[in-house]
Amino acid sequence: MVDAKKFLDEIEILLDQLYDSQKDNLEATAQAMKECIEQDGVVHVFGSGHSVGLGIDIKNRLGAMVPIHIMEMSDFVTKGGVPAAEFMDKKNIFERKPNVAGKLYNLYNIKPQDIFIVISNSGINGVVIDIASLAKEHGHKVIIITSMKHTLAEEPRHPSGKKLYEYGDIVIDNCGPHGDALIETSGVAKVCSVSSICNNCIAQSMAARTIELLQADGFELPVLNGDEAHDKALKKKYEGRA
Amino acid sequence: MDTKRKYFDLIKARLEKAYETQNDKMKVIASMFGECMENLGVVQLFGVKHGEEFVNELNYRAGGIAPYHALRLKDLILKEMIKQEDVDSGEIYNDITVMDKFEEFYKLDNRDMYCLVSYYGTEPLIIEIAKRAKARGQKIVAVVNKAAYDKVGGTLLDYADIWLDMCAEDPDIAMEIGGVKVGQLSSTTTNVIAQMLTAEVYSYYVSHGKEAPVLLSANVKGADVHNNSLTDPYEGRVR
Repeated sequence: MVDAKKFLDEIEILLDQLYDSQKDNLEATAQAMKECIEQDGVVHVFGSGHSVGLGIDIKNRLGAMVPIHIMEMSDFVTKGGVPAAEFMDKKNIFERKPNVAGKLYNLYNIKPQDIFIVISNSGINGVVIDIASLAKEHGHKVIIITSMKHTLAEEPRHPSGKKLYEYGDIVIDNCGPHGDALIETSGVAKVCSVSSICNNCIAQSMAARTIELLQADGFELPVLNGDEAHDKALKKKYEGRA
Repeated sequence: MDTKRKYFDLIKARLEKAYETQNDKMKVIASMFGECMENLGVVQLFGVKHGEEFVNELNYRAGGIAPYHALRLKDLILKEMIKQEDVDSGEIYNDITVMDKFEEFYKLDNRDMYCLVSYYGTEPLIIEIAKRAKARGQKIVAVVNKAAYDKVGGTLLDYADIWLDMCAEDPDIAMEIGGVKVGQLSSTTTNVIAQMLTAEVYSYYVSHGKEAPVLLSANVKGADVHNNSLTDPYEGRVR
């Protein structure tokens, strides 16, 4: 029987597995974020497709840290000179292309102390792999969020033969199944994907822990608190970077 | 308790509340979506700000149902029909003429229905989308955070045939750490509600003796051919 209750039961089990198996990686990431922010750094977050949701979930809202920068795929067009028609071509999918990510990477004001979080469920597409590779080449710490079950089940698409997780200083497995859909059906395809839900929980729990660590160090928190003057000044401090 | 563990416990408790309070309505909505789709209609999705996370969870999603389409400000930015800074400032949500641009850019159809997502349910643009759909006799599902909606006097629900609650408190704050408000629960809760809807729409198809048009992750072998076979008949009305 496929219904809402079935999904609720299965997602709760999966979230427990996620926490239990990944808590050390989440802690290590929160430590890395804390160190980066204390050195006046910015955390650059990049995910293509639905993976962009992780960054969005912890940005621009009450209780959110300001020194988090979302690298947007659409910046290829709005800032990087890629024609909209090429970017939006549904038969020649842009996120799969190798050797184009430099156009995006070079748009941003990236400083040596910055770190990168790169997210892709499959971890096989060109743009995400090239962003992780570029960040690594430039000496930045790279944190990967991926589905290990999915990425290990698929052939690489990148000319290097590598997958995204191979670039991670820290790798967080979102514990999602191959193909992202969780619930078995009577048909061929499974239904109800989980990566956005797991990634949101990863992002929210990691962000909360980072704030806790910053607070323990007595660092002035770069967190939106709803006070207009405070939030405006904070955004001003990171203007052009986050 | 470990802060990270605390977040996971909080979200699980909230998901159970969402199921308990919204399940009956989700079943009704799944039937509305299913009927619309069986008649070759598409469920048009629009979300304000973080409401777009709910939209992303239903539109062209692995393990999701095919006949959804998202009205996306990002598409209008890429086509230079609106400006990025108006989206960043939130000003765009006050501009009802954006719906003219959506109508110009997308293939919207009278067989379609709408699913509209807004935390407050007040923004003029989303109200305009609802008004126009209503005037055409199209069905409307709304998703709001009822606690916030009531506080600010939202009006979106005046146009809705049925609505879901994001089940968040207002303000939507997950926890306090040393007196500092941190984190949210609403987006993750609405993502789960969206996936529960997917399960129920799938079930609607099965109970009507039909094969559900379930999309595969674009990143598994053979998915492009399968997914195109589900979306191509709509000639650009979905995705």
